[in-house]
Amino acid sequence: MSMTRQAFLAAAFGAVLAFPVLPAAAQSGGPILIGATVPITGPLSLTGKQYYNSLKMAEEDINAAGGISGRKISIAFEDTQASNSTAVNAFVKLAQETKPAFFFLSSYSTQNLAVSPEVAKVGVPAVYAGGADVVSAAGNPWMFRIRPADSVAARAMVLCAQTVLKVSKPGIIYIQNDFGQGGANVAVKQFEAAGIKPVGVEAYGQNDKDFSAQMLSLRSKGADVILLFNYPQDGAMLLRQAKMLGLKMPVITSSAALVPAAMQLLTPADLDNVWGVVDAFIDPSVGPRMKDFMTRYKAKFGVDADPYGLAYYDAALLVAEGMRKAGLEPKALRDWIAVTKDWPGIGHTFSYDAHGNGIFDLAIVKAKPGTKTLQLVQHVSVK
Amino acid sequence: MSDLIQLFVNGLALGSVYALAAIGFVIVYSATGVVNFASGQFVMFGTFAGVSMLLDAGLPWAVGYLAVFVVMAVFGAGFFACLYLPLRKSPVATMIIGTVAIGILMQNVALLAFGSWPFRLPSPLDGLSVHMFGAVISAHALMVVAVTALLVGLLWFLLHRTPVGIGMRAVAQDMRAARLMGLEVNRLLALSWILAALLAGLAGLLLGPMWFADVNMGDPIALKAFAASIIGGFGSLPGAIAGGIFVGLTEVLGASYISSAYKDLIAFGIMILFLLVRPQGLFGERIQDRG
Repeated sequence: MSMTRQAFLAAAFGAVLAFPVLPAAAQSGGPILIGATVPITGPLSLTGKQYYNSLKMAEEDINAAGGISGRKISIAFEDTQASNSTAVNAFVKLAQETKPAFFFLSSYSTQNLAVSPEVAKVGVPAVYAGGADVVSAAGNPWMFRIRPADSVAARAMVLCAQTVLKVSKPGIIYIQNDFGQGGANVAVKQFEAAGIKPVGVEAYGQNDKDFSAQMLSLRSKGADVILLFNYPQDGAMLLRQAKMLGLKMPVITSSAALVPAAMQLLTPADLDNVWGVVDAFIDPSVGPRMKDFMTRYKAKFGVDADPYGLAYYDAALLVAEGMRKAGLEPKALRDWIAVTKDWPGIGHTFSYDAHGNGIFDLAIVKAKPGTKTLQLVQHVSVK
Repeated sequence: MSDLIQLFVNGLALGSVYALAAIGFVIVYSATGVVNFASGQFVMFGTFAGVSMLLDAGLPWAVGYLAVFVVMAVFGAGFFACLYLPLRKSPVATMIIGTVAIGILMQNVALLAFGSWPFRLPSPLDGLSVHMFGAVISAHALMVVAVTALLVGLLWFLLHRTPVGIGMRAVAQDMRAARLMGLEVNRLLALSWILAALLAGLAGLLLGPMWFADVNMGDPIALKAFAASIIGGFGSLPGAIAGGIFVGLTEVLGASYISSAYKDLIAFGIMILFLLVRPQGLFGERIQDRG
């Protein structure tokens, strides 16, 4: 029997229509598919690899604990690299081909913003770790943040300057992107609300390697503390150059400069007079769950865990619990996450507000003198 | 005053590194007419060769540095044999795409081999600094400036006072005439690539202790080296040096005295201005004169 090309195409089209696209969650038998779009290669992979590792570990742990009502989970990864368009393509590819029941998005706000309309279109809940307030302000009901928002972190840094260091002439250096600029703006407003005018606000580009101009400018303006809004590698370089330039004032750095990838570039001397406002205090003294996570992570991947990776691990456990309790139907799962209060993660307690922000606490840390071991100074909660 | 000295020396050190990368750029362009878009990755390879020899293998300074130069020379020769020779008769666009592709390949090979974590490449002058009129200048930064100056002198000597260098310049000016004069053109072209790789290796070794060694460090260097070449004059050796130092100083002094937020805009704005008003740059040949 012969078939014309038109007849074949019509039959194929008909066959496709006859089998409507079903979300993987509705499929039975196989594992529950979950999508993760994180930066695995490119400049952002420095932190992205931690998310990848943490999610792999969470996948194993959830499955070892019996999965979701007897079904295993399987996380499909797509690389977002350092590009918004790649992040969108990665998300769309997973949404169309894998059809996951849930998504983990990257920790870079511009990628989160770029992907947000697609998440809304697909209508499947997702968590993200980008800090920019504008992501949650957009009001996408399907997206939930798993780290402190940048405004929360900035306010915690200002609190550190005011209450711990009791300084009055702050200077600010920030990386020129949504995170740095947003954080610096919040910090300036926060200082001004307390009647303190920052002596200077300096910027640098993501690829910059020399920060002497910014630091010397703040020194000449009489800054008695410098607040740094930075990424890991440039954060380490800023701390190092501050010492090389002989700056004497204390430095308060945001979380990224004190992640293991950055810490291994620093010496104990570089950390002298440096205070960190970090997402979470990663230390065995926090409790047995933290100790267990740190030990197993190090044994499995050969590197220390950082707070960003821990946020993804915690989020995976949170979502697994949501799937067990609310099921896989996207709306039911979304609604379960949206009303989550006081869920005890390893690094944080998750309590979601109306904008999908779930984390409001950070830790102020400082290296033990002469070492690179971070010690907890105090926890800060910013609502 | 002390701040100005500090900024000036930092800008000079930064500019010296840009100049070294730009010289590698210029040598290849002058000799072969190829704009090597993998030049930033050449520098990155140099830094990671240093990481392998000095950190991983733990070789002594002299042996480690020598090993890096050997690796880079072999790499330059390999680049010539595997990319330039097969593509030399292809359209310019093909060659350019080839260098871009190799650059991406190099970056990803480095990512696979070394991972995404950066490294701290040591310097023989680690921890040493010089106090000058209240400014604290790292000894390594001074070494970078001194080594670049020395190298520029040696390069000038090579190109103007040795038969090999004169041959390379002859090939750059007119390949066919050089061949008719009995020069071994392919050997001289290979030497140009090897020289460019060696310079990139040196830039990488000098850069590693100032910046951190990471697999993505090549692109920003290439961008600044490109700007330096445009400002100094594409194809001009003195232009590459002047352009590199100009970009380095503009970055640092511009950030300090004009605006840190717009410092890249200043440097690249000047580059665009040169393209509009004086496309041959400070020292370059008139672009329409090149055959």
